[in-house]
Amino acid sequence: MLTRIAFRNIFRNRRRSAITLLVIVAGAIGLILFGGYKAHTIRALRESTIRNRLGHIQIYKLGYSKSESQKPLEYAIDNIAEIRRAVEQDKRVTMTAAQITLMGLLSNGEKSETFIATAVEPEKDRLMGSQRLLSGTNLPLDEPDAVLLGRGLAASMHAKPGDYLTIMTTTVGGSLNAVDVRVAGTFTIGVKEFDDRALKIPIKGAQQLLQTSKVEKLLVFLKETDDTAAVHGDLQKLFAEKSWALEMKEWSELAGFYHQVVAFYNGIFGFLGVIVFAIVVFSVANTIMMSIFERTREIGTLMAIGTTRERVWRMFLLEGFVIGMLGGILGVVAGAAVATIINHSNMMLPPPPGYTVGYPLKILMQRNVFVTAALISIVTSTVSAILPALKASRMKIVDALGHI
Amino acid sequence: MEDEAVVRLNSVTKSYRLGSVSVRALTDVSVEVRRGDFVALAGPSGSGKTTLLNLIGCIDKPDSGRVAIGGVDVTDSPLHRLAGLRLNTLGFIFQTFNLVPVLTAYENVEYPLLMKNVPRRERDERVRRWLAKVDIEAQAKQRPDQLSGGQRQRVAIARAMAGDPKLVLADEPTANLDSETAARILDLLVEINRATGCTFVFSTHDTSLIARARRLLRIRDGRIVQHAPAGEVRQEEAFV
Repeated sequence: MLTRIAFRNIFRNRRRSAITLLVIVAGAIGLILFGGYKAHTIRALRESTIRNRLGHIQIYKLGYSKSESQKPLEYAIDNIAEIRRAVEQDKRVTMTAAQITLMGLLSNGEKSETFIATAVEPEKDRLMGSQRLLSGTNLPLDEPDAVLLGRGLAASMHAKPGDYLTIMTTTVGGSLNAVDVRVAGTFTIGVKEFDDRALKIPIKGAQQLLQTSKVEKLLVFLKETDDTAAVHGDLQKLFAEKSWALEMKEWSELAGFYHQVVAFYNGIFGFLGVIVFAIVVFSVANTIMMSIFERTREIGTLMAIGTTRERVWRMFLLEGFVIGMLGGILGVVAGAAVATIINHSNMMLPPPPGYTVGYPLKILMQRNVFVTAALISIVTSTVSAILPALKASRMKIVDALGHI
Repeated sequence: MEDEAVVRLNSVTKSYRLGSVSVRALTDVSVEVRRGDFVALAGPSGSGKTTLLNLIGCIDKPDSGRVAIGGVDVTDSPLHRLAGLRLNTLGFIFQTFNLVPVLTAYENVEYPLLMKNVPRRERDERVRRWLAKVDIEAQAKQRPDQLSGGQRQRVAIARAMAGDPKLVLADEPTANLDSETAARILDLLVEINRATGCTFVFSTHDTSLIARARRLLRIRDGRIVQHAPAGEVRQEEAFV
């Protein structure tokens, strides 16, 4: 009966209830849109971080992560082919990619610039799609002395595809070595600071330059990101069985920027949640307070005929809950509709700080986002009703009956 | 057991604050109402009739003195126990009917039975029986705003009676009704009193209601000035 009374009272003053529901629905839509946007952005960033740069797991020579050596490739993997064969036998692994990171000077004969190079296997690098080519071609499969230059570095060196430059670095033995390279193309990854120093070179060319046959690390790519921890554990067992002195890191240990972005978005989402909470609290509390004021005599009557204060409190709390539930359901439906419209509108967002390219606005329709939005609506609305409900339940019956 | 006291008020005093002024509503009132009685509380406006009904109905507490209902002293009873007493022992009929607007006539009568956890079948039987007794069966599914004043008061009477109370308190039950409807309501109350033996205490200005009462309590300036069988009081005296 209390539920019936609560439900019917919501439709008693339709305009006021409609406004309150509208506030809750707007709040729920806001949470769904931002929650879906956040989920999409974070997932996209995670997958691009993994598939374009880090791989799911990186394998190094044991001691690599604690090494503070200045000498290149002091901790390097030498039996790379054997390791790769063993790792790629796992059905969850899609591919492995060997890499070396090196620094040095790039010169065009007139000026020199420092560079940070990633030495890659060209065929694997194409599959990773870690950069957007601006001019020329990707790294050729059989030309060890071809390079790709970051947009800023290419501009600084006045280099274009087909030009020849010289790169110079320290070999693993500690001596200086230089080779002439052909610029195959220019690229960007969207971050200016990186583009200003970035260079890509085939791993064979880098090994010739460094005078070694070793590699710094082996990137492991999986079909599903969720399998990372399981594969990590299995590889550990495999390396122990084979007595290979190797160590591993998962992508999340290496993705500092990703974690910063996640924390940033969670902060905004939390702040938005607080704002929605505050608006809903005031709106619902106001609605229930007005309802209590209008129904003072009714409350007095109910208590006079034997309704306990606790039941009166529950009745108004129930009204808050019902308003929240209706608002939550409508909000979820409306949120899904708006998200669908946005996802089909191909809207583009401007480049974020530090990036040079914009990206499409997409709302990920995740179940947990909808559930969270609905729960926040219900809980907030119910919580809003606590104080007004207490006020109603504490009325003096005589005063309430005499209320006009 | 016919003379057993259902209500006993002993030297009850009650004051209200009106702004910064304390207004004495009842002074040293002692009243006894016996089982099955049909008692009229008469007196001019502001004389303390409603305050006295509130104290008997356990919706207010006296400043001093004792109140006993059904032989139990309830003066110091906690609120939840008083709520239980009102639910199980008392029935209320208000001048302005005071039905729950969002509930139908049937549901309004059913409400106190639900609070008492009366089983569904028995509840339905009692609601229908009382709706039939007050002749409002046809309007069972209508809400209060779809009913006339007389019909609303009939629903209120059914609500008060469905819980099988020992004592029904009615505050000016016919004041908001035209004389013809008031007479019918009065007939109904008298009939219920006679048929069920339920005790009735009501405040009224209605001379016809006073004439039908078995006893009259005349109250003025917060004091009982006359306590007599209603037949012994001339109607015009009741308001003096």
